[in-house]
Amino acid sequence: MISRLEITLKKELADAEGRTLLHRAQDYFGMALDDVRTVNIITIEAALTKDQLAIIQSDVFSNPVTQISSYDPLPVDFDWCIWVGYRPGVRDNPGSTAVEAIEDILGIRFGKGDAVYTSKRYCIKATGFSAAEMNRIAGELVANDIIQQWKIYDRKDWQPKEGTGFICPKVVLNHTPTVLPVTIESDDALKKISDERNLALNPNDIPVIRSYFLREDVLKERKTVALSDPTDIELEYISQARSDHCNHNTFRGLFRYQDDVSSPVIVEDNLFKTYIQKPTLELKDKLDWVVSVLWDNAGIGRFDENHNYSITGETHNSPSNMEAYGGSITGIVGVYRDPMGTGLGSRLVMGSYGFCTGFRNYNGDLKPRLHPRRLLDGIIEGVKDGGNKSGIPTPFGQVYFHDGYMGKCLVFVTAVGIIPSLVNGQPSENKKTSPEDLIVMSGGRVGKDGIHGVTASSEVFSEHTPAGHVQIGDPYTQKKMHDFILEARDECLIEFITDNGGGGLSSSVGESSQISNGCIVDLEKVPLKYDGLDQWEIWVSESQERMTLAVKPENIDRFLALSKKHAVESTVIGKYTNSGKLHIKYNGTTCAYVNMDLLSSGFPQWTFDAVWEAPEKRGLREPVFNEPKDFNQLMLDMLSRPNISSKEWIARQYDHEVQGGSVVKPLVGKERNTASDAAVIRPVLDSEKGLAFSQSLLPSYSRIDAYHMTCATIDEAVRRVIAVGGNPGHIGGVDNFCWPDIKYHPEKNPDGKFKAAQLVRSCQALKDTCMAYSLPLLSGKDSMYVDGYLPGRYGETRKISALETMQFSVISLVEDIKTCVTMDAKLPGDLVYVLGMTRDELGASEYYDHLGFTGKNVPEVCFEPFLTSYRALHRAIEKNLVASAHGIYRGGLGIHLSMVAMGGHLGMTIDLEKIPVDHVIRSDKILFSESPGRFIVTVSPDNQPVFEKLFKGLPCARVGRVTETNSLIIKGIQAETIVNITVNDLKVAWKRPFGDLI
Amino acid sequence: MTQVNVLVLSGYGLNCDHETAHAFKLAGAHADRIHINAIIDESVTLDKYHILVFGGGFSWGDDHGAGVVQAVRLKTHSGEKILQFINEGKLVIGICNGFQTLVNMGLLPGFDKDYTMRSVALTHNDCGNFRDQWVHLNVNKKSPCVFTRELSHVEFPVRHGEGKFYADPNVIERLEKNNQVVLRYALENGEPANGLFPDNPNGSIKDIAGICDTTGRVFGLMPHPEAYHHFTNHPDWTLTKEMLRRQEKSMTPGMTSGIKLFRNAVLYMENA
Repeated sequence: MISRLEITLKKELADAEGRTLLHRAQDYFGMALDDVRTVNIITIEAALTKDQLAIIQSDVFSNPVTQISSYDPLPVDFDWCIWVGYRPGVRDNPGSTAVEAIEDILGIRFGKGDAVYTSKRYCIKATGFSAAEMNRIAGELVANDIIQQWKIYDRKDWQPKEGTGFICPKVVLNHTPTVLPVTIESDDALKKISDERNLALNPNDIPVIRSYFLREDVLKERKTVALSDPTDIELEYISQARSDHCNHNTFRGLFRYQDDVSSPVIVEDNLFKTYIQKPTLELKDKLDWVVSVLWDNAGIGRFDENHNYSITGETHNSPSNMEAYGGSITGIVGVYRDPMGTGLGSRLVMGSYGFCTGFRNYNGDLKPRLHPRRLLDGIIEGVKDGGNKSGIPTPFGQVYFHDGYMGKCLVFVTAVGIIPSLVNGQPSENKKTSPEDLIVMSGGRVGKDGIHGVTASSEVFSEHTPAGHVQIGDPYTQKKMHDFILEARDECLIEFITDNGGGGLSSSVGESSQISNGCIVDLEKVPLKYDGLDQWEIWVSESQERMTLAVKPENIDRFLALSKKHAVESTVIGKYTNSGKLHIKYNGTTCAYVNMDLLSSGFPQWTFDAVWEAPEKRGLREPVFNEPKDFNQLMLDMLSRPNISSKEWIARQYDHEVQGGSVVKPLVGKERNTASDAAVIRPVLDSEKGLAFSQSLLPSYSRIDAYHMTCATIDEAVRRVIAVGGNPGHIGGVDNFCWPDIKYHPEKNPDGKFKAAQLVRSCQALKDTCMAYSLPLLSGKDSMYVDGYLPGRYGETRKISALETMQFSVISLVEDIKTCVTMDAKLPGDLVYVLGMTRDELGASEYYDHLGFTGKNVPEVCFEPFLTSYRALHRAIEKNLVASAHGIYRGGLGIHLSMVAMGGHLGMTIDLEKIPVDHVIRSDKILFSESPGRFIVTVSPDNQPVFEKLFKGLPCARVGRVTETNSLIIKGIQAETIVNITVNDLKVAWKRPFGDLI
Repeated sequence: MTQVNVLVLSGYGLNCDHETAHAFKLAGAHADRIHINAIIDESVTLDKYHILVFGGGFSWGDDHGAGVVQAVRLKTHSGEKILQFINEGKLVIGICNGFQTLVNMGLLPGFDKDYTMRSVALTHNDCGNFRDQWVHLNVNKKSPCVFTRELSHVEFPVRHGEGKFYADPNVIERLEKNNQVVLRYALENGEPANGLFPDNPNGSIKDIAGICDTTGRVFGLMPHPEAYHHFTNHPDWTLTKEMLRRQEKSMTPGMTSGIKLFRNAVLYMENA
């Protein structure tokens, strides 16, 4: 039996969702709709009585105060109606909670095949539009054909009694799960199967795989379990484990690096080992607060004597690029499982975001799947729901626009957790699987969603990329699981825990059974969303919200009881062994039997040619132009640049205060709308210690040299936490590389060798900077292949590659949160200081870009002098000598003086002549140089002598004063006033691009 | 009474339970976080508790209306016990998602002691989006609400997508007449927000941010008092610190207005 309940707001209530659609149709397409009303549809496929239907209608699905509802179509007036529902198999979160509510109130259980599906009707009043235009609204504003289906109704076609009909997007597979043996008679045959099945096996791996399965001892052992040729599930397992996403083949590759095409070849064998692992281990030995690095789902640092924190960062680029909302919510909810699966399980305390897309107002020739504006709307919303509904604050984030992200956007998500340092008297960072431990899967069920996600993200996005790997995260299910796991941890029921992310069970069980050296899995026990999945699909499905745990047999009853209390599904799916074999059975029949050490033996290293070309050789020069005359307009225009302007609308949508530990918020200052340098949280509420967190990305500098891009990015992130009160002696980092394809191909990737060289240089910079700043890499990830092929104006397809990008996140300890400062000028009369040297470093700056130049003088980091001044600033902050502190970042001094003034809503008078400079003799260059290592600090006059004493001998100068006049007045190096703008005008300009967004 | 015991509900996507329990502890109470299912299966009974807290979060993902499914579950399985709790003269507070739950259970507004009737609603913000923002709130001094005694103007953050208070005009009139309207969105200087965004962040009718029942013992509000339990929670604290330092004063930890609100409840039960 199918029932369809329609619900809508009473006429007198404004329909906020409808209004958003109305505004977007106007703003994005210039379509003037008169009115939009939303009708929510609940389609119930279950045998319910009339009385039961009446109860759920009145008590669950409609609010008597605000809504009307009916099991017949509601007579909401329209000229056009767009119905939107999910495609079969797409996660329908409200549908699932509807089932829970119905079962609860009626005291019934849904039978097999019973379900609730949610969908929507948008009733649009508008005259003079065509069905095609409505189709555009449907496809480009409200729905995405990857996950949704829609229908357009003209008023004339609408049957008031039938409405939309009864649409149940049920998955019906009618398929008997089958294990297929795969022929390996030749390399070519296996290659062909790899292509057909989208296994993405590297051609170089194929002979290794074949030779393993042809080994006599292997064949003999396999015979004992009735196997001969490899099965599809075995090859899927190998493919997942060998993917670049899981195995980091690029970073572990061999690079033949040349400084120049004529220079000798330097062999860089394994960038990961040389530039990440080695320095991190060295620093771990030196720094007692580094607890655990390089092996677990997240790195761990010490918070206080009783607590550690865990941190990691991820990207979710390819899925977000196809389905922005689904991709980003899956990304943020997914990264939250990393700290949950770190040590014996951390409590999540914060998350952050970094979004790189094309320009929001792009109107060029390229036709991306999703316009950057829509893409950005979607990814913002996904992180909003994923973070807010997880009850985890999102107090920091950043956005960067560049045409290079038109091919593939970047969605960075970072997560921080807190874990007691001891669980059951033992260090909580240690965990292991042992023979006889039960393998438990907790959380969501397994469906076809997410199959081949890992291998797809290891490929360039093209029209053949399977859309099936796009998912929709479910923060509600995960939050329940999070609360459950923490209770199970505190009752000492967990031996080992890891998350199911890329590669699903294949990765989580495959990797965790390396520790015990074997496992035996009964695949039929894995709970499924619907029948008909093949064994290999169950094994590699990336269905979300799942953790894999090891539980001792004697603890399993209590574990499962606790799971039930939290309304979380947990299932024993097998046990760990020490057999040396990954052994998978389905209803008693073996479908996989592989040596545990197969993956660590004999696979060939990836190799890359990497040839650097110096900027001069690429034709980069400093531009020739005179100093501008109209500095006022220049300042205002710079403030209105998309990469500088206010992004308040994003921060406001994110709950940045839940959990009650907010100390420094993302938006600060008098009007609470200027961006903070960093966030500070108090993750343990009865402690006065805090964690300062920030991140940075400066891909623009890669246009000149990715080495300096990397140094500057790390330096900026470091300065950001120093500015709020972070301790330079305790800063941990997370590197997230997002690089275009670096494999040279004469036609398809002619500059591959250069991009590979950029990667080598970036890794060198990473090591140099981390060692100089004593900054261990607590965690990190790489995502390669940030390229896309987009249709152009004349039917051609163009390859678009992103700038070589690294997001760097830092976390620092704040000993006493009461010492924290914010960036806003505090009181009139305060003295303004600039710390650090301004150099002629405008290469790839916002200013040059504004004028259409690239330039050559990329900002360079001078480690030792910078660090000395950071330490001095930290001492000053600790001693409460500083009223405000703010780093000088993109856009340079002029922009960031404006930020400090806008923050305090106070004027300033500044004398450029007094700025510490190194051979810079133009006011515009002083104002807009992006030299790193600098801060703007305001100090109360009574603190002047002590403050200046601290900075004696350092590049630090008093350059002006905070004033009551409400204007930013800057005198140029000839002592003439070049800038005189009211703080209000600064703010209007700064809010111009996005100020109207909510 | 020696010790006031507070029960803070948790589970099913609720998420402010830790800091709410912490804030009540700072207010002098003993506080436990208890899973909704422990109330339903009666492994925990309400008897020993004096204050029941429906806290913030996204129960059941806020699908089908914020707080709706939570209200259904609690009303279905524990409705009687909660009514008895109220009738024993104890206190109930609903914050954000908890407020939404209270109005969907009918515990608010509780006209004529009828605690089952849904007559007010919290619906989607007029601005069309979730919003995290600190607001100024005027306290109705004439309200019987026991939580807001001695308070007149407070600041807390709102963090919600469905906080627009809505009811029929006659219901609003009745709430006002009974002084059941406890908190109203206001400007910094104490003038009414008059429905204007962003001071009234969601378009609530008559700037209503919180209401109580006629006894003043059941209270619901959209803003989060527990989010202001430490002076560093306040958005202006770094400026305040600097101004005080120049008067040679330091930030005194003292009670924030969030803790004062909870302290009122604890004091009330101590004297009950």
